[in-house]
Amino acid sequence: MAIHPRKNWYELTRTTNWTPSYVTEEELFPEQMSGHMGIPLQNWEGYDEPYKTSYPEYVSIQREKDSGAYSVKAALERAKIYENSDPGWISILKAHYGAIALGEYAAVTGEGRMARFSKAPGNRNMATFGMMDELRHGQIQLFFPHEYCKKDRQFDWAWRAYHSNEWAAIAAKHFFDDIITGRDAISVAIMLTFSFETGFTNMQFLGLAADAADAGDYTFANLISSIQTDESRHAQQGGPALKILIENGKKKEAQQKVDIAIWRAWRLFAVLTGPIMDYYTPLEHRKQSFKEFMYEWIVGQFERALIDLGLEKPWYWETFLKDIDELHHSYHMGVWYWRSTAWWNPAAGVTPEEREWLEEKYPGWNSHWGECWDVITDNVINDRMELVSPETLPTVCNMSQIPLVGIPGDNWDVKVYSLEHNDRLYHFGSEVDRWVFEQEPEQYQNHLNFVDRFLAGHIQPMDLDGALHYMGFQSVEELGKDAHDFAWAEKCKPSNTKSA
Amino acid sequence: MTTLGDKTLHNNNVGPIIRSGDMVEAVIETAEIDNPGKEIRVADKGAYVRIEANDELILTHKTLEEQLGRPFNMQELEINLASFAGQIMADEDQVRFYFEKSL
Repeated sequence: MAIHPRKNWYELTRTTNWTPSYVTEEELFPEQMSGHMGIPLQNWEGYDEPYKTSYPEYVSIQREKDSGAYSVKAALERAKIYENSDPGWISILKAHYGAIALGEYAAVTGEGRMARFSKAPGNRNMATFGMMDELRHGQIQLFFPHEYCKKDRQFDWAWRAYHSNEWAAIAAKHFFDDIITGRDAISVAIMLTFSFETGFTNMQFLGLAADAADAGDYTFANLISSIQTDESRHAQQGGPALKILIENGKKKEAQQKVDIAIWRAWRLFAVLTGPIMDYYTPLEHRKQSFKEFMYEWIVGQFERALIDLGLEKPWYWETFLKDIDELHHSYHMGVWYWRSTAWWNPAAGVTPEEREWLEEKYPGWNSHWGECWDVITDNVINDRMELVSPETLPTVCNMSQIPLVGIPGDNWDVKVYSLEHNDRLYHFGSEVDRWVFEQEPEQYQNHLNFVDRFLAGHIQPMDLDGALHYMGFQSVEELGKDAHDFAWAEKCKPSNTKSA
Repeated sequence: MTTLGDKTLHNNNVGPIIRSGDMVEAVIETAEIDNPGKEIRVADKGAYVRIEANDELILTHKTLEEQLGRPFNMQELEINLASFAGQIMADEDQVRFYFEKSL
């Protein structure tokens, strides 16, 4: 049967902005859910999604993608990735699935909100497909780790993390609730699809795929890069929404949403992707450093596209660039030190060869983070294990929900950015995190971070066991441990190093 | 640090990022043929390959089909189009990657 080319009928069939007669336009598209900023229905008809598809095409292409992902998985079952990979790599899989899989389900809600409440017909149409994309991502990223559950209980966190109060899960939920479930349709288009999906998902789904392929985990490389092909289509909903806002005098509002989303995504990915790329991935399989991936995907590609759409670099650009050099090294040390509170096993990643690589990629690493690792290493070598685990709680940021960190070494610079609001004192890890709070205090003011909950008595008994129980850990095997059981420290013994 | 950031930002690279596999060579060839006179830069990162030109890069359905040597529906490009640099305008005859403003 001959099928008419899509371009002959697409625009006609998506013209679905009927004039409502039973209800008012505002009742059909309430501002709180729609986020149209008072821009009338007809102005949204200029929304032209640049990457179109139709339902028959969608179904056929998605079927191809899924059969590719599942058949690669089936074909490589005998590669025994779990048994044959470095423990650092296995930790990456656990961290990824737990932090991402159910976030994809949250994204279904966001796409659904656009599909119903966006005033732009093209946005509603593409979001219907986006909704199905995100269902695919949730399901496939629960299915792939499921086979490992019987071998290793930490893989159960792929499903469990978002249902728990584990600190990293709280951080991820706080961020995704802010840009997805707790926002109107147009904010979702800008904060989720544009800011997050044309930006940071490339880091986690393509940058990491490069490392995965190099490490021989083709199943994972193929899966996550396949997911990103969906993203690269449905992420194109944000750009045309930005154009409409700018045309209608709402550039300031659009810029603010982008600035909030990028910063928040950055802090979360600095704790998630930073350590796995620069410390957990076995040295010989690191395709690029985290910083190099950030420059490739975020600075060179995402920020450049943002300027082309008529927006500006974020006001915190200099702070952001400085952070790319530093933040994840401090986060990594914190996650490793508080490792029993993670659902994966952090790899220290500080053998002499790895430190040499870190110093090359981040000049000055040794005189900052290296000095702390010297002390930790010395304690491990001399069997003072009580000194390489925490006894106290860190201070946690009321925006990122991640502990406050500074740069160790001679110019130790940890700093808290505080704010008193409605008789409550909030603490933030950076000036920008505080700025985000100040933009919309009502969005954030009632949330309690992990330490707030501890001090409020929600966590009983008030000790480490009580905290681990509150976080949702069900057995000792689930608690994070050093990925290599401290074998790395052997390589650091003075007798085993080439020079002091 | 700042210099590197601004230098990296100041680029006019546009083009597809293709998952490694049998589409890669066909897309590179198509980019060469459909963008005469343009320098096509290719960066192989293992799991994905960046194919870039300055300001504008076009892939036509006709050339892509010829390079693949088999019938090809333009929408199938999506199976391997993991990401792209620049803005996109995609229809059944061609996909265009571009910047509105050259820096």
